[in-house]
Amino acid sequence: MITVDIRRRLGAFALDVVFEADQETVVLFGHSGSGKSVTLASMAGLIRPDAGSIAIAGRTVFDAARGIDLPPQQRNVGYLVQQIALFPHLTAAENIGYSLTGWDREARARRVSELSVLLSIDGFEDRMPHQLSGGQQQRVALARALARPVDALLLDEPFSALDEALRGDLRAELLRLRSELAIPVVFVTHDLREAYLLADRIAVLDEGRVLQFASREDVFRRPSSRRVAELTGVRNLFEGETDASGRVVVAGVRFCVDAEVAPHASVDLSIRSERCVLRRLHHADPLPANCFVADIVSDLAFGNSHMLTFAPLGPGPAVEVEVASRPYEVLGVAAQQRWVIELPPADLHIMTR
Amino acid sequence: MAQRSEAIPAVRGRSELSLNRLFVAPAILFAAFVAVPLLALAARAAQEGDIFERLTSPFVLHALRLSMLTSTLSLLLALLLGVPTAYLLARNRFPGYRFVTLLVELPMVLPPTVAGVALLVAFGRRGIFGGWLSDISLELPFTTAAVVLAQLFVSAPFLVRSLQAGFESVDVTYERVSATLGASSLRTFWSVTLPLARPTLISGAVLCWTRALSELGATLIFAGNFEMRTQTMPLAIITAFESSAGLSGAIVLSVILLAVASVLLVLMRVALKRGALPEAV
Repeated sequence: MITVDIRRRLGAFALDVVFEADQETVVLFGHSGSGKSVTLASMAGLIRPDAGSIAIAGRTVFDAARGIDLPPQQRNVGYLVQQIALFPHLTAAENIGYSLTGWDREARARRVSELSVLLSIDGFEDRMPHQLSGGQQQRVALARALARPVDALLLDEPFSALDEALRGDLRAELLRLRSELAIPVVFVTHDLREAYLLADRIAVLDEGRVLQFASREDVFRRPSSRRVAELTGVRNLFEGETDASGRVVVAGVRFCVDAEVAPHASVDLSIRSERCVLRRLHHADPLPANCFVADIVSDLAFGNSHMLTFAPLGPGPAVEVEVASRPYEVLGVAAQQRWVIELPPADLHIMTR
Repeated sequence: MAQRSEAIPAVRGRSELSLNRLFVAPAILFAAFVAVPLLALAARAAQEGDIFERLTSPFVLHALRLSMLTSTLSLLLALLLGVPTAYLLARNRFPGYRFVTLLVELPMVLPPTVAGVALLVAFGRRGIFGGWLSDISLELPFTTAAVVLAQLFVSAPFLVRSLQAGFESVDVTYERVSATLGASSLRTFWSVTLPLARPTLISGAVLCWTRALSELGATLIFAGNFEMRTQTMPLAIITAFESSAGLSGAIVLSVILLAVASVLLVLMRVALKRGALPEAV
């Protein structure tokens, strides 16, 4: 269990971060400069916050009011950085065993080989860091961070220096490790897909503040504010008004939503581009609820999916719709310019302004 | 990891070739200028008939022993005081930083004789601390200790400067990572920072030691020229040169120092090559 509640001023930048982590992976997600790395470094004891407190595994490691500030070597956390930073003058095995001071030679060797097997770096133990590939280096660094029993694992964009394929492997590795570790993991990233893949809960950071701290599902589907929606890659954000019956009027179309909303309020309405539904246009039928007609104005192919931009024909907002390649072909999207777009009530999310 | 040099492919362009042709003559001239006197010295020493007899004369042996003893002691003292100083200067910016840097650099540009005078004024019998020192019955001038102090004064800055640059080149990320792995500050310094700065430690120590070995001016003024007590090899060379033996006496001593310096230089190269670190990862 980790609890973090810290504040720090640095010139114009003010950090004010509150979150917690059980035996789970919490992702600190945000752009560079949002304060996520500073938060992690504060937890590791490399940066001193001005105020607040940090507790790791029931132990207060920092408390400004009580004058507690344990140095990094007493915080008992594994800390992995983007630069990897293997000690270049030590072999892989010596790097892994670096924290095992006070262990006898045999126990240390056993622990090192245990970790080598766990992270599939066995066979490379005697190599120097520069003789290892980038992926192997990061595995050794991870093994080094986990060698002694730690109360938490802190990962600061650990895979961002690696190429895409390796990153995928290591993410899968971390997912597998997570259940074996049974300690809180705090993972810093600016990569949206990575955040979703690894997180149980996500803390969205922006300009030093936590805008939303919730399950990954909530953060992705139910952002707490327009800014969170923007940061988490929501492409469709509309301004609207609620009517007397709790529907939301956007650009002349009344949309039903699942949530209870106050009548006659100004709200933001959001929907992720992959949650929008395309329907064929049948001129004879009246339009079903939450539907409007729109024309494709641009079609960007990303290989595994298409990003379609629609302009409304009559009433309705302009929307971006992501369609996976297979349905794109089956539906014959390329051959047809005019479509009915449905924004399902369950996928429409309302944010009060 | 790719070598950095691979980033720019080596292209043997015309300009590079013509520059080589232009620069080769001065380079040869310079090499010859250094080589000729050294070869002449070796050749002349070989002509001296009784060279082994003279090498083992008490006069030479005493000077040699004293030189080895004092220069090694001053290197040890320089390490003891210089390593922490270099680390502090490399990792911190504090009020008076530029002043301390100036203090460290001054002895390197100061004529050694000036250093000798300054030491005498401070620690001499009639110096500022002279009275206080003699109160605790410690008399420095014209003792072997004075030789060590004179050598330390002029040679330690070479170690500090070299090592400071070395510490500065060690990425603090390594130290931070070491701390998060539970290592105490002292262990981090001992098993990460110092090994990573090893090349500069070796070259700095060799520079320091050889500078101490060749020290003459400050020693002559502060410690004097007394056989068996303060007469180091450079002083012995001067003494021999001015005595009836003249040049031939100086030649033998010079050849010894030349040999010692050459061996040291080779050893340093070997140590640096063996201790060379791969590109940081």
